[in-house]
Amino acid sequence: MKLLRVLLWTAVAAAAAVGLGGIALYRGEHINSMWLVVAAAASYTVGYRFYAKFIAARVMTLNDLRATPAERLRNGHDFEPTNKWIVFGHHFAAIAGPGPLVGPVLAAQFGYLPGTLWIVIGAVFGGAVQDFVILFASMRRDGKSLGRMARDEIGKVGGFIALITVLLIMTILLAVVGLVVVNALKGSPWGTFTIAATMPVALLMGLYLRYWRPGKVLEISAIGFVLVMASIFFGQRVAESSMAPWFTLAPMALAVAIILYGLLASALPVWMLLAPRDYLSTFVKLGVVLMLGVGILFVRPELQLPAFTRFVDGSGPIFAGKIFPFCFITIACGAVSGFHSLISSGTTPKMISRESHARPVGYGSMLLESFVAIMAMIAACVLQPGVYFAVNSPAGIVGATPTAAVATISNWGFPVSAADMASLAREVGETTLFSRTGGAPSLALGMAHIFASSGGGRALIGFWYHFAIMFEALFILTIIDAGTRVGRFMLQDLLGHAWEPLGRTSWMPGVWATSAMIVGAWGYFLIQGVRDPLGGINSLWPLFGISNQLLAAVALCVATTILLKMHGLKFVWIACVPLVWLVTVTFSAGWQKIFSPVPAIGFLAQADRLAAGAQTAATATLIFNARLDAAVCAVLMALVAIVLVDSLRIWVGILSGASEAPVREAPFVPSRLQVEEL
Amino acid sequence: MTRVWRLLLGLLRELADENAYRRHLAWHGRTHSREEWRRFSDERLRAKYAQGKCC
Repeated sequence: MKLLRVLLWTAVAAAAAVGLGGIALYRGEHINSMWLVVAAAASYTVGYRFYAKFIAARVMTLNDLRATPAERLRNGHDFEPTNKWIVFGHHFAAIAGPGPLVGPVLAAQFGYLPGTLWIVIGAVFGGAVQDFVILFASMRRDGKSLGRMARDEIGKVGGFIALITVLLIMTILLAVVGLVVVNALKGSPWGTFTIAATMPVALLMGLYLRYWRPGKVLEISAIGFVLVMASIFFGQRVAESSMAPWFTLAPMALAVAIILYGLLASALPVWMLLAPRDYLSTFVKLGVVLMLGVGILFVRPELQLPAFTRFVDGSGPIFAGKIFPFCFITIACGAVSGFHSLISSGTTPKMISRESHARPVGYGSMLLESFVAIMAMIAACVLQPGVYFAVNSPAGIVGATPTAAVATISNWGFPVSAADMASLAREVGETTLFSRTGGAPSLALGMAHIFASSGGGRALIGFWYHFAIMFEALFILTIIDAGTRVGRFMLQDLLGHAWEPLGRTSWMPGVWATSAMIVGAWGYFLIQGVRDPLGGINSLWPLFGISNQLLAAVALCVATTILLKMHGLKFVWIACVPLVWLVTVTFSAGWQKIFSPVPAIGFLAQADRLAAGAQTAATATLIFNARLDAAVCAVLMALVAIVLVDSLRIWVGILSGASEAPVREAPFVPSRLQVEEL
Repeated sequence: MTRVWRLLLGLLRELADENAYRRHLAWHGRTHSREEWRRFSDERLRAKYAQGKCC
């Protein structure tokens, strides 16, 4: 039996090695997507079986005899021992957002190889470890949040900086995901109608739950899903009717609509709009991820993009900069995401019934999220390279007319014709697909291609394209209203110290004022992105990636400190190696984004170039924006540098014996949970 | 197969907060009513959306 096990695991490890080796070394015409699927799945399996098990057994010494906070602090609300697979699904649904879908699509400009390797290796040794260790630490500390653990383990500075970093990340995140929606819906009556229709559907769901059938969430979610599908169907009719101009909006009009929506949704009662749409978007998200996985396995498409493109030299049209460090900040959520540490120290640790469940939930969920990123990479790479670059490159780089754009892209060595693009746009029910930057439209095209090939054929490709757009926009809008609300709470909490009424969540003038401040902050960056001649993604997505990875650095500082207190230097490398890598990557990227002399990369160089040209009011705004982006980047780097120095001070103190190193875990209490309760 | 179906349904009910509502009723020894759902829902959603959605 043991021999059989050894043989089996040797075969899985060999599959991982052959898969990774195959995609890394193959330089033929096209590679089948199954190579990526096998390489990723086998690597995750080996990582989970050996590395995660080693961490669980030797480093964390997970003990099922020890009562978890879910059991000890059980209160019928948030603390509740829950089935392992239900917590797994709950945690996965909470960590899966647009990041693992959009990031890989953008990073595909380097070719499929750099992004794929980073997604797989980054998740196994970085992202999953971060999520797992933070979940474990929070579970052993009564479900404390990351900020609270940072304050307890490192000091007050760490806790405060974690809070400020989260606020800054949210501002950039909301702006950049808003921009993704704007670019997906601009000039698209079908898409705009579908997304607009989700608002009354969500309101109907809210009223249904509140007044007609309280508590029947699954029932109304099923009804809501049918209505949303109907809105995609009718969206096509609307786009072909005389009503089309009502839903054909320019980017600026869409941005303003999203900003007003964010303001309204943040101040409205949560049951009315946010919660019902969140329920719906969670179910749709899980369903689509499953569909995409099955679709890829069924179709097994060939990747059309090469392993490497010419843009590894840093001259990429989607975002400028070389593979190092920009590939590693562009793909955050699929490999390492600091935001996950907030979820791992949020609801999840309060639901875990046995300590050993932390491995599948913390480590396993991140591997699944990473696999979603691999699927997004495949969906992007099944497009013809010329089509991929025509959709994702801003007009400011490739040219504003179809003729100019196809000439530029074909000159790069990725042939595409205006007729091909027009035909594809017609097929999916759009007037044009040129310069739809942000990743969502090209992902939707790839997904539509896979879904249509799985069944229904090309006749349904327009439906699937808009289904994918609806799926992306649905949960992005949920992020926007939930994020604005959280930002508003944080701001009210802060301003309440200055003037008490502002801190009251029941005082409507205070609610509206703080909502307006938060919406104003991310709305400013969104408008900036819309006005940016380079499409906005070039400046905003790297800022988001840097801020998210810097939060991961804060989480890994906490993890390193905890491991140091538990075992001294013995196992500190588990968190410290990914920490060193992330600090190197983010500080390199941040430095380049501020100081690079290449205007497409460096914010200051961009401002200088603009300052040297003809001066108009628009130019003055662009110069100010570039300098503002540089300042935001510098502030983020400075904040994390402070946490790093503070952590180093603590580590040196512990190692030299100058500081006490108490492990602040809750005391051991034996578990009394019965098997049937698990 | 039955086990998988039960797990799937359990997950959907957890994501839909229906399980949490059942726990709430059991914990407080109350029965389902419109007012009870509102009380539970207001409390649950306040806690849920005190945290941002992940990217």
